[in-house]
Amino acid sequence: MRLYEFEASDLIRREGIPTPDYVVAANPQEARQKAKEIGVPVVIKAQVLSNGRGLAGGIRAAESLDEVEETADLILNSSIRGLPVQRIIVAKKVEVAKEFYLGVTFDGYSGAPVVIFSPAGGVSIEEIARAHPELVLSREVSITTGFLLSDAEQIIREAGLDGEELVTVAGILHTLYHIFRRYDALLIEINPLAQTLQGTYLSLDAKVEIDDSSLYRHPEFQARLADRIANPLERKGYQIGVTYVDLDGEIGIIASGAGLGMATMDIVSRKFRPANFLETGGAISADLLYRVMELVLQKKGLKAVFINLYGGINPIHEGARGIVRYLQEHPTSIPIVAKALGNRQEETWQILREGGVKVVTEVATEKGIEQLARLLEEEK
Amino acid sequence: MSILLTRETRVLVQGITGRVGRAQTKWMLEYGTNIVAGVTPGRGGEEVEGIPVYDSVAEAALARGAEASVLFVPPAAVKDAAREAIECGIGLIVIVTEHVPVHDVMELKAYAINQGVRLLGPTSPGIITPGQAKMGIMPGNMFHPGRVGVISRSGTLAYEICADLTAAGLGQSTVVGIGADPVVFTGMPELMELFDKDPGTDLVVIIGEVGGTQEEKVAQFIARGMAKPVVAYIAGLSVPEGRRMGHAGAIIQGGMGTAQSKISALRQAGAEVAECPLEVVELVRRRLVPRGTI
Repeated sequence: MRLYEFEASDLIRREGIPTPDYVVAANPQEARQKAKEIGVPVVIKAQVLSNGRGLAGGIRAAESLDEVEETADLILNSSIRGLPVQRIIVAKKVEVAKEFYLGVTFDGYSGAPVVIFSPAGGVSIEEIARAHPELVLSREVSITTGFLLSDAEQIIREAGLDGEELVTVAGILHTLYHIFRRYDALLIEINPLAQTLQGTYLSLDAKVEIDDSSLYRHPEFQARLADRIANPLERKGYQIGVTYVDLDGEIGIIASGAGLGMATMDIVSRKFRPANFLETGGAISADLLYRVMELVLQKKGLKAVFINLYGGINPIHEGARGIVRYLQEHPTSIPIVAKALGNRQEETWQILREGGVKVVTEVATEKGIEQLARLLEEEK
Repeated sequence: MSILLTRETRVLVQGITGRVGRAQTKWMLEYGTNIVAGVTPGRGGEEVEGIPVYDSVAEAALARGAEASVLFVPPAAVKDAAREAIECGIGLIVIVTEHVPVHDVMELKAYAINQGVRLLGPTSPGIITPGQAKMGIMPGNMFHPGRVGVISRSGTLAYEICADLTAAGLGQSTVVGIGADPVVFTGMPELMELFDKDPGTDLVVIIGEVGGTQEEKVAQFIARGMAKPVVAYIAGLSVPEGRRMGHAGAIIQGGMGTAQSKISALRQAGAEVAECPLEVVELVRRRLVPRGTI
């Protein structure tokens, strides 16, 4: 779960990393009023879950209160990479002397946290790494030992900082690691951390992504997850407990596993275009597949649905009952083709057949899609 | 021959009294798995499918001599349940549970490496040595004993490809699901090494998908001198960038982890890469026939 900038900034400020004064506003009048409290000049920033806001015109300075209102109006009526802007941050503008990049993430292969620092912040870390790989320092951390203040100081010293600058920036990097651990982050970045002309250190932008699987122990964020899924079908998928990815084709896909779902998509893509990706995970029940059918069939322009299930952890005979119940209550003219194998497969086939579903008994998904293609051909 | 699991392996089921634990214990027993005990705290003294249940791994291991454990416990309980098994000297631990927090996995992985214990998962379908035993949730009727070793990130896709192989008369020595999370306990190369040494395995099939770097590490392992032929299939050629496809680890970001980059790395290292699941059968057959090992 990616946090909005204001949520990420609230989080790091709460944990002791300083930021400029800022407020959140949802309309130009509110922006003006709140800007008055913190004082101009300010920077106005679109709150959208997208990278590259600056280049897309989502970050602009304002020198007067009139300009705040004007600029807020402009940004709030715009879209950043297809995402409508619903909120903005109005932040006190600071005079920047130097910009640093600080980040903590993990290495998926080794399974260790990784701390990253660059003295050349202000642009994306990918860009720094391309232009000046020698200015990106990264270090794997033993999760058992943890990341000590002395570890942070060593990295910062290697980057060429010394004296008070060294001590302050190392302290912030050390805090950042602890936020990463405490909030189950997958990624946490401060970019830039600014050294101001006055000699203070302030986080000017923060990015935090929290592990969805950990949200049960972070209830403050869990409650907000569903709201930030912009696509209504994908939100519905999340709410019923499956992964639904909306695509722009005509063949609906229901699979009982992610790998199988992706392979099915690949095979469908050779002849048709998938309308969606849907993966149930291991919690199939009659009710779940009833709701899954309801969800997949909501998509406009569907020509057929291909269901691909394996009975390993999943009771596919139960799932079949849900599919058939949905079709009995909501008859459809488009072909529904199902392949279901594994534990209790014969029972599953019988339930599906009696409910009007075309059952494929061959193993290979390729054969199933061939049958679906033949059915569509016959219809023509 | 096989790797990691045989019909003799003495298996423990943690979380045996839950809905999934109970159902899967039945399937595992029917398949021939030597399940010696189950554990659910507070349920000691009960029986599931004739298997005695203990309150703790320590009691179960002492009374029944368990060597391996399969976990059907909720995500929040995984870290402690696995540590309990490690503390009791269990050498192989399979974690079927989905949605285990990544930080818990990182902590547990560091601990397991330190203790020299092999863990599989999370989100692993488990491990099956066809005709002998299975730990996990793989449906037994998809598999057949033979000489092809299989390593997969996905459960369901492993079932499909093994069923394709089985239908073509190509059995499997052992099939291992490494799990589909951003961090997994045992990576593909470590298992390749076991298969390379296993006299019962002639060829290894790798079933990968978009995201992460497991398949790239496999390519490096092959290039360093894997003796046996490798056939691979990578799911997700049609996956759009930035979208997470069900598995927490299946996401393409910043152009990294695409199916195409994995396929190129594997081909460059000398592996045969199938364009679709069914083609795996053809490639395996082609590689095995000249060696006269079918």
